[in-house]
Amino acid sequence: MKKIVLVGKPNSGKSLLFNQLTGLRQKVANYPGVTVELKTGRFEQFELVDYPGAYSLSSLSRDEEIAVQKLQEAMQLPDTALVICNLDATRLESSLVFGLQVQALAKQQQKSVVFALNMADELQRFGHQLDTEALSKALGSPVFAISAKTLLGISEFRQAVLELAELAQPPIPSIDHGDEKALRALSRSLSRQFGISASIVLKNQNRIDAFMLNSVTGGLAFLLVMFLLFQSIFTLAAPLMDGVESGIAGLAQWVTGYIGEGRTSDFLNDAIFGGIGSFLVFVPQIMMLTLIIGLLEDSGYLARAALICHRPLSYFGLSGRSFIPYLSGHACAIPAIMAARTIESPRKRLITMMTIPLMACSARLPVYALLIAVLIPEQSYLGGLVNLQGIAFFGLYLMGIVIALLVSFMLSTFVIKDDAKSDMPFILELPNYRFPHWKPLVVRVLASAKSFVYRSGPVIFAVTVLIWLLGYFPTDAGGLQNSYLGQVGHFIEPIFSPLGLDWRYGVAILMSFLAREVFVGALGTLFGIDGADENIAGLAANIQADGLAFGTGFGLLLFYVVALQCVATVATIRAETGSNRIAVGLVIGYGLLAYLLAFLAANLL
Amino acid sequence: MSIQTLWDAPKRATVRVTELVAGLNPLVVNRLQEMGLEPGQLLECFGRGPFNGPMVVQIQDCVYTLEQHIAQQILITPQP
Repeated sequence: MKKIVLVGKPNSGKSLLFNQLTGLRQKVANYPGVTVELKTGRFEQFELVDYPGAYSLSSLSRDEEIAVQKLQEAMQLPDTALVICNLDATRLESSLVFGLQVQALAKQQQKSVVFALNMADELQRFGHQLDTEALSKALGSPVFAISAKTLLGISEFRQAVLELAELAQPPIPSIDHGDEKALRALSRSLSRQFGISASIVLKNQNRIDAFMLNSVTGGLAFLLVMFLLFQSIFTLAAPLMDGVESGIAGLAQWVTGYIGEGRTSDFLNDAIFGGIGSFLVFVPQIMMLTLIIGLLEDSGYLARAALICHRPLSYFGLSGRSFIPYLSGHACAIPAIMAARTIESPRKRLITMMTIPLMACSARLPVYALLIAVLIPEQSYLGGLVNLQGIAFFGLYLMGIVIALLVSFMLSTFVIKDDAKSDMPFILELPNYRFPHWKPLVVRVLASAKSFVYRSGPVIFAVTVLIWLLGYFPTDAGGLQNSYLGQVGHFIEPIFSPLGLDWRYGVAILMSFLAREVFVGALGTLFGIDGADENIAGLAANIQADGLAFGTGFGLLLFYVVALQCVATVATIRAETGSNRIAVGLVIGYGLLAYLLAFLAANLL
Repeated sequence: MSIQTLWDAPKRATVRVTELVAGLNPLVVNRLQEMGLEPGQLLECFGRGPFNGPMVVQIQDCVYTLEQHIAQQILITPQP
């Protein structure tokens, strides 16, 4: 099939144009380790390929480099019939340099170019008439003023693109671009001649920014937005997650109802359906967070939030854009690691992804709740205002953040080398504030769920089934304590005994690789409390009666703060970084650090 | 007229770029030039972001943020 290539600058409505031309069905090709995505959709008899938004064809970072390289490859293909260059009609001055670079590249490869000057509805609103005919003449390629949002000029544009792409020999751009300097000068003179005045376009944006970037009002707005974001991934996603869980449980019940009780039924119910549920349960949160970040990005606020956080986080080798992934990590590391895709610098993105697992995710909550109930007396001061257990909770959250920042600092200073294109200077364009369009958002939300299910789902499923098998067999012996997992627990007891923990804790820790909260249920089984998840106080009393030394218990808490014991997180890190080495290295590294801290606590406290 | 770096440019002021100091990565210089940061160009400075953060500056028809180590390599003269 013949291809049409779509390129353009970020924040210029390119994704929406792609959706308007191809509909909502698209295929996404990812390149592991970078955020480069090529989206492909059907546009009449052609295949429309959407290249990542770029500011320039001379790349600064590895992501940009790969994006540009892919574009160059596409330009060389004989199948490529036409190049559409999508630019922001309201910002010709900053867009045309890129437009001319694309045109020069196309000319070199004997390809035809069409310019889509998007967001022309805004020009109309400002009363500016863009002389597309004269600009076409000056550029030597057809120019269309369109709006993918209001569909202004879209049908003529479609028509013209199809006609051009069908030509056996589409016209090659005729103008001479000269060297880099000449190209910049040409861009400047053209934009002065045809563009709208910057002061008109930027008037509103600058007025809002005077408020949003002010230290006081901007800070308050930032806190409010982040509060809402955090609330929604916790509260809005919760019923959806419950829905997924009960849906799968219902399905499992329905299926096993035909089989009757027994080994097959247990296997289907707990291993197969449990395994499917173990990754599907993350999907609502991933979709919710993707939606919110998409809203923030498309409305223009994400860039401001990154600006506000940039300075404090830069001390730890992080980007301003690391803040949202870090915050989201307190709900769940999986969507948070996927949210790190918005970080502009590959190096900072990697550091962010590697440290997100230290955030106190919601799966740690039951573990913290249990151990705090065991170790810390329920005591209040100042008339109930300050609660000792509450302080302990807060301390554990804070500890996660502090350790994450320290690890980031160490990684950025000593481990991850700052080679030529791994870092990206923080040059951020502040886009105009705009009302987001639903189409690219829907596509993006669905794509995030799909990419998680396809790339991380199988690993999570496999490990869940494996741990279930180990915990279930040999059944004739009866119970978790006599299962293979129990035997493994006995076998590895020497590893946990320096921490003051016996085999029961070892088994519970192993089980919690499924998800940390499994620790509570597993320990409950071993301490003879059924349904420990709902009876934390009962289990806590049993553990206290059994005798858990303070140092040992505190060490166990530290272990849970640091250790990366969540197979879903590991699978997601592996998928997002494209590296087994990083995923396994993190499990070992955090495991050793967790062990060391627990050992020190058990023996010093 | 006094020459200073863009990092120290006064808030809400128009300034003119006089020089991009050698010392920046050539790739970054190239990007800055593509953005329009060339000697003679007029800029609108909006001051630094919160927490003494990056400099917010309007170049042509776009507003950008430039971090300290870049803004310090750009020499400017304030315009009346």
